[in-house]
Amino acid sequence: MTEELETPKNNDHELVAKTQGGDPQAFDELVIRYTPRLYGLVYNMTSNHEDTNDLLQDIFAKAYRSICSFRGKSSFTTWMHSISVNMTINFLKKRKRRQHPSLNDPDSSIENDPDFIAATSQGDPLSEISIHELQKKLNAAMMKLSHDHRVVVTMFDIQGIPHAAIAKILGISEGTVRSRLFYAHRQLQNTLHEFKRQ
Amino acid sequence: MSNESMHRVIKLKRYEQPPEGYYENFLREFHYRQRAELLNPSLVMLMKERLSLWMSEFRVPTLAYAGVATIALIISAAIIKAPSSSISGDSPAAYAASYTQTPVTIQKMEPVSLRLDSSMGSGDSLPTSYLLQAHPASHELPLSF
Repeated sequence: MTEELETPKNNDHELVAKTQGGDPQAFDELVIRYTPRLYGLVYNMTSNHEDTNDLLQDIFAKAYRSICSFRGKSSFTTWMHSISVNMTINFLKKRKRRQHPSLNDPDSSIENDPDFIAATSQGDPLSEISIHELQKKLNAAMMKLSHDHRVVVTMFDIQGIPHAAIAKILGISEGTVRSRLFYAHRQLQNTLHEFKRQ
Repeated sequence: MSNESMHRVIKLKRYEQPPEGYYENFLREFHYRQRAELLNPSLVMLMKERLSLWMSEFRVPTLAYAGVATIALIISAAIIKAPSSSISGDSPAAYAASYTQTPVTIQKMEPVSLRLDSSMGSGDSLPTSYLLQAHPASHELPLSF
């Protein structure tokens, strides 16, 4: 169910060491490698493409500036995710005033996804709705969550990061991660049920 | 909706992707922004840079620390010695014997009259501030200037 967070760890170390040694191309390689997964993390927290792009640029700039302070106590992936989560939460706190997600078109392969077919089949509260509607409803439901809850849902449910890795990134216990997930799921269920009634 | 189906529905958000070609352009934009930052550094960065430059120029030679420490030692030794030399005599008794003070003498005092001066009775001129006025303050009209 969950993809491993630490997959490219060994190679990361090499690239990090090269960057610390003054090779900027090694950092470019890290940017290419981490952009898609960090995009997912930041986008699902902000629900806005432009904000995600700006934030990602800032995240990589910060990582580049402080890469010399990275001592390898945690994996580079954990380190990058921590920077991303902290910067995104700070950004969201500042952005409270406006809340208009830009809905990017979902990948067309969603229609073949068994989970999508199951979700839009009969007997499900989300049946009879289009992809775009589903996207809108999910985003709206996500935006109703607190930042702390949204980040665990994004990492666990969307990105498939295991509880232990989430705990490391956020600097909290695994029990707290599970508890936040439980409450976040309950809130999401209530919100999506409200949509069904409407 | 069960927890499992909730998880499956949320997982569908993975399909929300950035516009085509986004990842290819991302690195280019990153380089562009880095160069722009170098060309237009922020005020804080400029201040930091100038401060570090100034600090690097401001180098104190190692011998100066030794000099300052010696001067401090000499001054503190002088302060410690100073009170004993200012007192004349070797013992407290000798110091007390040498201490003289002129006695205070009070001259003969004249009685002071507290009677009001008869020339001020008419009220034409204002009484001096140390004499009591004829009416209490509560008898005065408000806002009478």
